[in-house]
Amino acid sequence: MQPYQEEYIKNLKELFTLTGGRNIGCRTYEEFLRDLSDSRVQAVEMVKRNMQLLRDGLFPILDHMFEAEEEELKGLEEFAGCLLDTNEELDVGLFCQIHRALLSLARQTKDRNGMIRELYWLGIGYYHWCNKLIGLKPEESEAYTTQMRLCFTEAAAYLKYFDEIEDAETRGYILRSRANMALGNFKVPGEKIRMVKRSLEIIQDAEYQKIEPSLPWERYVYMIHQQMASSISYTKEESMTPQDVADIMDSVYIVYERQLQEAAEKKTRPSIRVQFSYYAIEYYCGLDTLNGLLTKMERLMDQTDPEDFSWDNMYGMISLPAFYSQFLEQYPEKMPERTEYLESIYRKVLDYLGSFPREAEKEMMFFYLRQLSCTFLETEQGTSYKEFLMKLQMRFAPVIYVHSWVVGKAAVEFCRIIMEEEPDFFDDIDHIRGLSQREEKEKAVLVYAMECGMLHDTGKMDFVNLYAKTVRQWFEEEYELAHLHTISGEAYLAARSSTADYAAVALGHHLWYDGSLGYPKTYHRLECQYRQMVDVIGLVDWLDNVTNANFFHTGVEKNFKEAVGEAIDLEGRRFSPLLTARLREKKVAERLEKAFVEGRREAYRRLYDERASV
Amino acid sequence: MEGSGKDKRKERKEPKQRMAQLEQMNEALEAALKAAEAANQAKSIFLSNMSHDIRTPMNAIMGMASIGLAHIDEKARVQDCLQKIQTASAHLMSLVNDVLDMSRIDSGRLSLNEEVFSLADLVHDIAVIVRPQAEQKSQELQIDIGCIREEYLMGDPLRLRQIMVNIIGNAVKYTLDEGKILVWFDQRPLEETGAFGQESDRVWLDFICEDNGVGMSQEFLERIFVPFERVNNSTISKIEGTGLGMAIVKNLVERMGGQIHVESQEGEGSKFHVELPISIAKKGKRERNLPLGQSVLVVESNKDRASQVIAYLKAGGLVPVHVESGLKAVTWLTEEQYEGHMPCGMLLGQELADMPVLELAGHVRQLAGSGFPILLVSEEDWAKIEYPAARAGINAFVPCPLFKSRLLETLSDLVNGDGEAENTGEASNMDYSGRHVLLVEDNELNQEIALEMLSVTGVQVEVAENGAQALEQFEKSPIGYFDVIFMDIQMPIMNGYEASKAIRGLSRADAESVWIVAMTANAFVEDIRLSREAGMNDHCSKPVDPKRLQEILRSRLG
Repeated sequence: MQPYQEEYIKNLKELFTLTGGRNIGCRTYEEFLRDLSDSRVQAVEMVKRNMQLLRDGLFPILDHMFEAEEEELKGLEEFAGCLLDTNEELDVGLFCQIHRALLSLARQTKDRNGMIRELYWLGIGYYHWCNKLIGLKPEESEAYTTQMRLCFTEAAAYLKYFDEIEDAETRGYILRSRANMALGNFKVPGEKIRMVKRSLEIIQDAEYQKIEPSLPWERYVYMIHQQMASSISYTKEESMTPQDVADIMDSVYIVYERQLQEAAEKKTRPSIRVQFSYYAIEYYCGLDTLNGLLTKMERLMDQTDPEDFSWDNMYGMISLPAFYSQFLEQYPEKMPERTEYLESIYRKVLDYLGSFPREAEKEMMFFYLRQLSCTFLETEQGTSYKEFLMKLQMRFAPVIYVHSWVVGKAAVEFCRIIMEEEPDFFDDIDHIRGLSQREEKEKAVLVYAMECGMLHDTGKMDFVNLYAKTVRQWFEEEYELAHLHTISGEAYLAARSSTADYAAVALGHHLWYDGSLGYPKTYHRLECQYRQMVDVIGLVDWLDNVTNANFFHTGVEKNFKEAVGEAIDLEGRRFSPLLTARLREKKVAERLEKAFVEGRREAYRRLYDERASV
Repeated sequence: MEGSGKDKRKERKEPKQRMAQLEQMNEALEAALKAAEAANQAKSIFLSNMSHDIRTPMNAIMGMASIGLAHIDEKARVQDCLQKIQTASAHLMSLVNDVLDMSRIDSGRLSLNEEVFSLADLVHDIAVIVRPQAEQKSQELQIDIGCIREEYLMGDPLRLRQIMVNIIGNAVKYTLDEGKILVWFDQRPLEETGAFGQESDRVWLDFICEDNGVGMSQEFLERIFVPFERVNNSTISKIEGTGLGMAIVKNLVERMGGQIHVESQEGEGSKFHVELPISIAKKGKRERNLPLGQSVLVVESNKDRASQVIAYLKAGGLVPVHVESGLKAVTWLTEEQYEGHMPCGMLLGQELADMPVLELAGHVRQLAGSGFPILLVSEEDWAKIEYPAARAGINAFVPCPLFKSRLLETLSDLVNGDGEAENTGEASNMDYSGRHVLLVEDNELNQEIALEMLSVTGVQVEVAENGAQALEQFEKSPIGYFDVIFMDIQMPIMNGYEASKAIRGLSRADAESVWIVAMTANAFVEDIRLSREAGMNDHCSKPVDPKRLQEILRSRLG
């Protein structure tokens, strides 16, 4: 690798430590604050440096790609490989950018093998993006799934010429692409199973194996069986045909037997994931009842170790409760007898997450958390979803947490200012309008404003890597991906009673007041009872973003006075004139600025206390 | 002298006859009086209704204008008011038009034109008008065609459109939300006496509009074509109109020599059937130049539509290859490309079972290159989807219901039609000859590649090797000479940002308007912003993607 590439990767890894905040150790709060401030300065420098590295090192090659030496191109492949491997997702955006450029070059130069290779890797890049979108409705994530599948499909189409392609590596890419065509969700779940089954037939075809015996065929076959076994998680019970069940059953048994054998040799148990697949398929083919399956799942969850942060234990600790919740949601009649267990398992999850070491925070853990977030069930006595989300944010996304707290505090101050003049300003909101006492109403509005601030960026938890771990400005497609946090936030919040009142704020806080710009277009301001609060959060969120929180990624940074001036310039277009009219008053702007400063300090204090308590 | 007995009998008979005549006359007069009174009453009711109907939108206009003025600082509120004012004004205008039409018909001043028109255009225009109305009520509006042998006809397309829009508009009005409306166009031979064995030069045009709306009572059915009558139904009491529409429709149909039939059941829906004898136009058909015998890929999940497309393509001498999914399309195209016999184009249906069509189009554009024709066959309003479709690399749009002429002519426009040229999928589908592009690029190889990509479009390209040269060439060129400037950023002597700023700063008429596109690998959002701040309009990443280049040219020159 070139020195600039090595430095870029080193910076990436280092920034992860800086933005996450170090363990408290024996530092005082003041020391903690000072360190944070130093870290921020370092992070800013690092972002600048990384961008310069790309500008000086990478972009000139992309600019003159047709003249690049073969060695340079190989170096690019290697660099991209370090940005994303199976264990760590360092920079998917740059990974895709490089492979897209290489694919474009391969297409122009009609380099068939290059095309196949680059299609495969670009597909892998898209796959990582798709994994972040599991909380979205299929139609909202479809574009990303499709891009991934199209890349794999095009590469797999060369299977027809398998014997003509005299290159083992390229043949390997073709087969892997063929198998990866089944990744992600399908509109018809059975389609996924049929796709995996077809891959299995191809991989087991002796003719192909004879052409290229050097490939790890046995591993391929086993991996496809694993893929088939995991199809249970994606497949809805009612949409599986008996044939689908039989196909999955075959694969589950093969994987289970092998793991059993390996476990016996090592004197351990098969993995939790495989055990669950085994139990689930027994249930699906009628060999067990739902009660039987749920009891076995409980046993598996009980076997997990709260101090083990391996992938499989993490699966049992976080992902399995997600499937357990899904079954209970599907069969609510099972809920009464299992409510107590469900509540206890959620507490266990939160304790587990509380003690999670920083080094174990890999993308896979976030994936499991997204699964749990999608299926979380609220009970009367148990942990509320709101509480769960706030804890996740504080623990795993301190940057998002601080921003949310600051937005909440500033919103509270702004609402207080508004209500001093217009106590009925928020009366379009049902639960506010019903309150007749002025103090009671003001209190309710302020509490609501704070919580709206805390939850408005819930969807960003799907993109933690993008927001907290990108050591450069975003590329345009990352900007577009980040837009989805509004839709996913709304989806998570609207589905639970403790958070439903905040869903509109999550959805609408980036759409312009006049609807002309911003996102998403699915927020209809005039039809929304919460619109005045959405306007408030939209304004204070923007103020914090341009003055503090978001300039890493967008390159926009203003001081508070400039930001207020621009907000006033955007009156009636981006921001509600009812709010910007108040911003014109010097005192109001000063009170708001103070709220931002104090809010940030408070947020850091809370972070400090939380970490000190661990 | 006394008269003959015959005369006497006549005299005796005359008073009786006179009496009878007088009675008849009295009856006639009474009927006429009643009719006049009824007409008068209808006109009084009409005037009363009209004053109400006119007052209602006028109230809305005045009310909304006041609300808008009171909230002048709230853009969203004002926008909402203006939209409502627009709707009310449009309604008011249609009321006035109806009254004027009826008046012309009554006075015999309405004349029909006789001109060549395309049935495909007529149906498309109608669909564009009525679809948004149906969409507003979430109704399923299906517009289909039967066996259309003659697409170019003679008649008055404006009045035909008026008839059909009126009937469909009523169906939309009198069908509840989420209801269903089926519109059907068909042709059948018109039996006429002519020279032996000679085909008639006219056809029957059938137009059927069927809905599952509120329907009409038998009593009202008898009066449906009487001027100033309207259905009185509590479910849809908000519906407004003059009650003249159907009277105008009937009058127009009869003036064209046709007939109109209505069937309806209260609560179940209505069915209107219009039959019109229409002359076939001798001229109007466009010359087509299709690559006969070449394959065309049809990607369509809907079997009925696929078979229609396939039949039309076969009739045009092409060889359709049908696949039902996006994944199969990509597999097939990859194989064909590898084997060196790409089809002469791809027709995309509006919905695929496995993916959004625009995603497939985008990928195929990359796979097959910039010259490969991709057509979208869709019921959507093109105006609504044009931008994302062009971004995805779709070259042309064929609206539904699908007419053979539309499909083949669009395809003919796109492909190289001599049938002899080797089809490598790189055939040009854009012709911008006569348009000028300035390519500013310091790297020779990059210049060569960009020139190759641009050459298939026919555009005239001039090259500058750095920003200073670009500025000089632009200054020397006549006003409006360059349509687009593709500007590299990192260049010796003067970089792209400086050059763009300098061009924008010139005091010539086109200095502000010439479209400048940054071509650079610098893809951070900040870079995009910097290029905009320097006065550039668009951004194109390197290595240059032919699809993106094509999209830019289409948006500027297309």
